[in-house]
Amino acid sequence: MTIRLEDLTVNFDERFQLNNINWQIEDNQHWVVTGANGSGKSALAAVLAGAGNCVGGQLSGVPPRVGLVSFEAQAALIEAELKKDDADIMDVIAEGTPVREILLNGETDPALVAELASLFGLESLLDQPFRKLSTGESRKMLLVRALASQPDLLVLDEPFDGLDVHTLAMLQQYLATLVETTPMVLVLNRFDEFPDFITHIAYVDKGRLEHQVDRNDASAYADLYQLLHLKTTDLQVPGADPDAAIAALDPTQPLVKLNGINIKYGDRELIKDLHWTIERNQHWQLSGPNGSGKTGLLSLITGDHPQCYVNDIFVFGFQRGSGESIWQIKQYIGYVSTALQWDYRVGTGLRNVIISGFYDSIGLYTKSTKRQRQIADQWLALLGMSGRADQPFNKLSYGDQRLLLIARAMVKHPPLLILDEPCLGLDDMNRQLVLALIEKICAGTETSVIYVNHHPEDQIQGIDNYLALEAAK
Amino acid sequence: MSNNYFNTLPLRVQLEQLAKCRFMSMDEFSDGVEALKGKKMVVIGCGAQGLAQGMNLRDSGCDVSYALRDSAIAEKRQSWKNATENGFTVGTYEELIPTADVVLNLTPDKQHTSVVNAVMPLMKQGACLSYSHGFNIVEEGMKIRDDLTVIMVAPKCPGSEVRNEYVRGFGVPTLIAVHEDNDPKGEGLALAKAYAAGTGGHKAGVLMSSFIAEVKSDLMGEQTILCGMLQTGSLLCFDKMIEEGIEPGYASKLIQYGWETITEALKYGGVTNMLDRLSNPAKIKAFDLSEELKDIMRPLYNKHQDDIMDGTFSSGMMEDWANDDAKLLGWRAETAETAFEKTPAGDVEISEQEYFDHGILMVAMVRAGVELAFETMTAAGIVADSAYYESLHETPLIANTIARKKLYEMNATISDTAEYGCYLYNHACLPLLGDFMKGIKSDVIGRGLAVDDNGVDNARLIQVNAALRSHPVEAIGATLRGHMADMKKIV
Repeated sequence: MTIRLEDLTVNFDERFQLNNINWQIEDNQHWVVTGANGSGKSALAAVLAGAGNCVGGQLSGVPPRVGLVSFEAQAALIEAELKKDDADIMDVIAEGTPVREILLNGETDPALVAELASLFGLESLLDQPFRKLSTGESRKMLLVRALASQPDLLVLDEPFDGLDVHTLAMLQQYLATLVETTPMVLVLNRFDEFPDFITHIAYVDKGRLEHQVDRNDASAYADLYQLLHLKTTDLQVPGADPDAAIAALDPTQPLVKLNGINIKYGDRELIKDLHWTIERNQHWQLSGPNGSGKTGLLSLITGDHPQCYVNDIFVFGFQRGSGESIWQIKQYIGYVSTALQWDYRVGTGLRNVIISGFYDSIGLYTKSTKRQRQIADQWLALLGMSGRADQPFNKLSYGDQRLLLIARAMVKHPPLLILDEPCLGLDDMNRQLVLALIEKICAGTETSVIYVNHHPEDQIQGIDNYLALEAAK
Repeated sequence: MSNNYFNTLPLRVQLEQLAKCRFMSMDEFSDGVEALKGKKMVVIGCGAQGLAQGMNLRDSGCDVSYALRDSAIAEKRQSWKNATENGFTVGTYEELIPTADVVLNLTPDKQHTSVVNAVMPLMKQGACLSYSHGFNIVEEGMKIRDDLTVIMVAPKCPGSEVRNEYVRGFGVPTLIAVHEDNDPKGEGLALAKAYAAGTGGHKAGVLMSSFIAEVKSDLMGEQTILCGMLQTGSLLCFDKMIEEGIEPGYASKLIQYGWETITEALKYGGVTNMLDRLSNPAKIKAFDLSEELKDIMRPLYNKHQDDIMDGTFSSGMMEDWANDDAKLLGWRAETAETAFEKTPAGDVEISEQEYFDHGILMVAMVRAGVELAFETMTAAGIVADSAYYESLHETPLIANTIARKKLYEMNATISDTAEYGCYLYNHACLPLLGDFMKGIKSDVIGRGLAVDDNGVDNARLIQVNAALRSHPVEAIGATLRGHMADMKKIV
């Protein structure tokens, strides 16, 4: 029977809420629910076992007997045991409930309990009181109880956590034998732990079921892998190259000062008398309708617009048109845009694309240093692309190219990072990937960000200055 | 009429100048644009090359403005629009030339005499006049005032590439030279190097040459293998395929994109690699055809080189200039009417390898043309490095233009001088190959060899491979590609 969650909203003690979940689990499916810590993945799994307070929508088709193993269930059991102890008014040392008694609770098949206890190596502990078990042992006990009850639906939250290699392999094998009879929902955090029989993956973020991916959809599966990796990795944004430090800026000067600038094409005035100062450590969001001159404005800063020579522009200590070269300007800027991606049509490897950021070049024309290669490899690790350093860039998916170009822009830790609609043209999952990377960058560096964006849902935390351009007349 | 400067020189000096060619090391450009700092550069002409170089120089920190003829400014012609819309100061010769420390003459060859005559009296004492091509000095014998420094900086690519490569953070291979008769302060080389660095050329490799070597090798390469051979080959191969009953759309596509594909192999690994892309029987076939072609065409290559060396070519072309380009325009119109030009490439899939397998004759033509041009140039005293650049190295660049829009695009992109020489070659070469083409069937152009197995005689294959690999263009090519690879292989 199909389990249906239709626009389901579930409350958990007012602390946490799952919102507007739409999900169907068919009989022949086996799901992994995944997401970062605190995303709500465990809550979503627990809903199937009756947890939480449904405040909206529908939950239907959940079979009567659901076997749940989770840290919460484990904690609840331990708490119940402790209460029994407290309730004991006799002046004897309480032993608590023996494991055997908990396992043979009337719902389980004794023969199966014996078999599983032996498989999990719990035989010698059967007569011990439950509360004397170690965390790992009590977890195994819960697994045995859940499996021996032969449920109609098995919900296992991080079942492999804390298991030794031998037990883990055994459990994986055992679960594989249930594939034909029992639908399974596993909460797992690591792709390499996904058992082969898993057919679908649900990705939860901030209490919402954001993505549902069919295991056979290789490209969506790969994107999801990267997204989860970026959301969960402890890796930080790699440092700058100390051997290629950018010349220091005068700390009393703004990064950028545009003084009454104009952009004109023939008789058409795209931007008129605009003043804009970007101080250090300010983050800006730039918005405006199509054709309002956002990209033109930015290219005055980057030096790519020829009219930067007929405007009063001060950037990174240079008054434009005073004999500076654009490479002196560009060294202070990391830049990502759709147009850059179109221009970046090279077959060079991924590592070299990242290293090209040190030189502000499209393609790499200089021999890289060992340290630059190391830094590039750290970026690839952060992006979940380790081992792909020599793959050709132009064969990457569009979304992966965008991630690489953001890494390229940041590799030198520029004082200013310009992200011109970095999510443009990306599907939902890749958008979230890019935003996850940008948040990681904003949190871990001293770079000021100019972020151009049309979509209110693509907000980046930490941006608190806004410049809105109006449509050109 | 003008005096051919080259012909006034003693043989000893002619040979010395022809032999000038040195691949410069990156270290020689460590001063960047320093020698141009504080100097005012005024560009004459704002076409594709003029605009691209000016934008690059300005982005490298140089002070660049544009001097245009009064009429171009008054009528707001394209050159005026190009310069003003890109934020450059534009003025008349009278306004800007007297203030200039360096005047960059980036007009077409044909206008050089009138332009230089107009600007020279306006130039300040001790300033520098720069060319992108030495024709005016070498072939027309233009005499420049003794106090002026005369240099040449010649990016070996169309203007659009010059700009695009700079923006990517790279540059295009560039040739520089100092006119030794006009280097009164001995600063010519420093200025030329700074100019090359300002356009980004130093990142892609700079050849130190002479005005004479540049002109005599450049003319030879562009007339023969680069444009002439590709045009003649396109017309002959297309007509042959139609005669052999091959679908016209396929024939058109095989040629239009075939030159680009096969010369890509040439670019990476020379003639050897281009022929290595063929099966063994096809390679031997291509080798035999190209040997035959070399024998037939050698007198034509010699004639082109001789006419270039003694000035016959340039005086003939200058006569046509004086006659309002009557010949050039007529030949251009004729080319537009050829069957190849008028047949659009068909919507058929041709794999990269198929361009080789079905284009054996095209491979043979490229090999014959490259080797002949190289042999002829080196026999005339041009050093191997120059000869390599003006033959093998540039062939893929020209092939790319044919891929874009056939012969029209090629002839629109190259200079009028190259185009004129290309037609001369084509007119002589078409009849010259008449008998040869009678023996050609679709097995070598259009359909590929009809062989049951790819077996060949070992001794014969060894002989062919040895002949290909031991040609002198392969030795110098390996060395120069090595230099280039240090800079660009990473791309």
